[in-house]
Amino acid sequence: MRARLMLVIVATITLEVTAIIQFVYAQREIKREASLRAKSELESAEHKIMDVVNQAEAAVRNSIWVAEWCLEYPDSLVRIPQRVVSENPVVVGSTMALVPGYSATYPLYAPYVARDLETDELRLLSLATDEYDYPSKEWFTKPIELNDSYWSEPYFDENGGDILMTTFSMPVKDKNGTIAAILTADISLDWLTEFIGKIKVYPNAFNIVISRSGQIMVCPVETLVMQTTVDQFASASEDHEALEQVNQALLSGQSGEMPVRYQGETNHVYFSPVERTGWSLSIVLPEKELYSGVRRIGMLVMILQLLGVAMLIVILRVVAKNQAKYQRLNEQKERMENELHIAREIQMAMIPKTFPPFPERKDLDLAASIIPAKEVGGDLYDFFIRDEKMFFCIGDVSGKGIPASLVMAVTRSLFRAMSAHEDSPAKIVASMNNTMSETNENNMFVTFFCAVLDLTTGRLRYCNAGHNPPMILTDAIRTLPVEPNLPLGILNGADFVEQEITFNYDDALLLFTDGLSEAENVSHEQFGEARIEAALHGRKSSEDHLKNIEQKVASFVGDADQSDDMTILFIHYLGHGNKKSYHLTLHNDIAQIALLPEFVETVADQAKLSLETTSNLNLALEEAVANVISYAYPEGTDGVVDIDACVTEHEVSFVITDSGKAFDPTAKEELDINAGVEERPIGGLGIHLVRTIMDTVSYERKEEQNILTITKTY
Amino acid sequence: MEVNITRENNTITVRFSGRMDTPGAQEITPKMNALAEEANKTIILDCTDLSYISSSGLRIFLTLRKAALDKGGKIIVRNICDSIRSVFMMTGFLNLFEIQSAK
Repeated sequence: MRARLMLVIVATITLEVTAIIQFVYAQREIKREASLRAKSELESAEHKIMDVVNQAEAAVRNSIWVAEWCLEYPDSLVRIPQRVVSENPVVVGSTMALVPGYSATYPLYAPYVARDLETDELRLLSLATDEYDYPSKEWFTKPIELNDSYWSEPYFDENGGDILMTTFSMPVKDKNGTIAAILTADISLDWLTEFIGKIKVYPNAFNIVISRSGQIMVCPVETLVMQTTVDQFASASEDHEALEQVNQALLSGQSGEMPVRYQGETNHVYFSPVERTGWSLSIVLPEKELYSGVRRIGMLVMILQLLGVAMLIVILRVVAKNQAKYQRLNEQKERMENELHIAREIQMAMIPKTFPPFPERKDLDLAASIIPAKEVGGDLYDFFIRDEKMFFCIGDVSGKGIPASLVMAVTRSLFRAMSAHEDSPAKIVASMNNTMSETNENNMFVTFFCAVLDLTTGRLRYCNAGHNPPMILTDAIRTLPVEPNLPLGILNGADFVEQEITFNYDDALLLFTDGLSEAENVSHEQFGEARIEAALHGRKSSEDHLKNIEQKVASFVGDADQSDDMTILFIHYLGHGNKKSYHLTLHNDIAQIALLPEFVETVADQAKLSLETTSNLNLALEEAVANVISYAYPEGTDGVVDIDACVTEHEVSFVITDSGKAFDPTAKEELDINAGVEERPIGGLGIHLVRTIMDTVSYERKEEQNILTITKTY
Repeated sequence: MEVNITRENNTITVRFSGRMDTPGAQEITPKMNALAEEANKTIILDCTDLSYISSSGLRIFLTLRKAALDKGGKIIVRNICDSIRSVFMMTGFLNLFEIQSAK
């Protein structure tokens, strides 16, 4: 929330600062542009004015020589202004005014030729009237005073009405260089008003022309024209300081620009003098107008930016909302996974997990484990004992996830239900299959191995419903032969073939799911049955076998992910089966050896051994026992030697146990039976015979006892 | 375990009967050790009635054989049953003794 707010604030500030910088630069640029434009307009206006001014001046100058020449013929003087007016369209009036007293004939003489602006006809008037008193007029006095040409202040034509005029006057000198007369050309300033009014740098910009005395000549406010000087105007205005400054600049013929506040608005005034005439041209640009474009754009940009920020806020809200949604979904998923795990744990609790499961039983060593994959799967195993028979099974439900685990729970329940009163694995499997295929709407199936082991006789009946065959460990390790029955849940009424073998003492069975055989390492090699078989070598307890296999798989798989449940069930049968055991206890007296033949005969009878084998067994046992009697106990002490014989279908074994001092007969060096009489040692014959007769001879020192096991297989 | 020793000229015949197991061998050891003094003669070990022999008995045979070798006598083992023959085979005694079978 806070991060989002910060983001919005930073975005807004960045956008606004950018906009302001842009705005300031744009303003500056626009001002520069406006200044350039104003200057160029001023320049072109000045050129235009100069053009007219030059024409008027030329009209006069071109007639000066005629005028000078005419001085000697006063009657012809009237023709001079006539010529000036008629030959120069810009000139609206002209006079040739004699300096009073110059001519004896005409003390005052000023013929004036005026152009009627409407009819374009020329009229001849005289300025030498009492009312007019031309010698007092500025246009007359100034050139004489300056002894030079002179542009008069603008004025309203007194004869022709409202026309604003200005007059160019030039002294006319006689041969002596004395100023004899003043020749003038009047020009109307109407064109100026019109022309200046047309210059529009900006729609609301306006232009002002003032005379050298500060008189406003052209101005959009007509009431001010020729009525007010800038000076007067300035003193009445609020920002009079600035105006006066402008005025000063104008009057002194400078050019430049200056900001002036007027009626609450800032205006930019660009000004430039017009040569010779003493006029000054000004362009006034209201700042509002100058910047109106950029201000409009600036405003637009700002609005767009605010819209952008608003959109950003909206987007952020949507994102935040989605985030919350995802978070909710995640939480949901987590909760579901949690529940799945709980479900899995409940399932796991269904299957027996306490090992050893039957601690009171000596005829069974059993270990099992399920290592679940990350995803819940559908492996199961189960076992229980009823009526001295152990019922056990292993299964793998097709697929993964909740459906598989649900089917697994059903399978396990069915196994328990069906095996409660039925001893035949095939019948159990068939009933399970029928029930499952009847209700199997999702086409899930279960590979299943079911077996019943008669703990008394070692008879193992089993039925394999499409599961990978277990491995059986007897004298060799091999795959248990299995019939190819269908997995459970595929075909209602399918037949299941039952098979049977007999377990002997020490036989074992390894059941597993494909999670073990198909466990993959990073290079996608499978663990395989060959590795399973290799891991099964050596005599171990069931638990050690299990741990060993798990360890081998773990180191094989390495860092690869476990993709499937891995289930192992190891059953080690230690029951009697066909095994017969015999026991004989001897004292440490050599004479007791005489008891051995009868004992061996009983054992040999059970094993249905030949006389020769019996005799050999007797010899081996005697040698082993004699060794113990001779060496284990010190002279004169009483000791006991226990002999346990065990006969199975394949072998007969004797376990000779005594509590005497540690003595390992197998440590003796092998006898060289090919040595000559001289080299032959007297000793070592006994253990040599034991080794030769028996197939395995092993010695163990355990719990302060010497245990020698000798076995003969057949 | 019984031992019957008969002397005729330079030949001593020892007749065993019974089982020469560890206690049996122990029993006859004094007599057999005495016989070793006469190992310069020909000693016939008649096993016709001997049904069993263990390493203790084999040791007695080997002791006599070594004595005969010392004293220049001769040991002849006569009439061994199959089981004793197999024991002789297992121990390499067939190579150490002259074995005579019954006529």
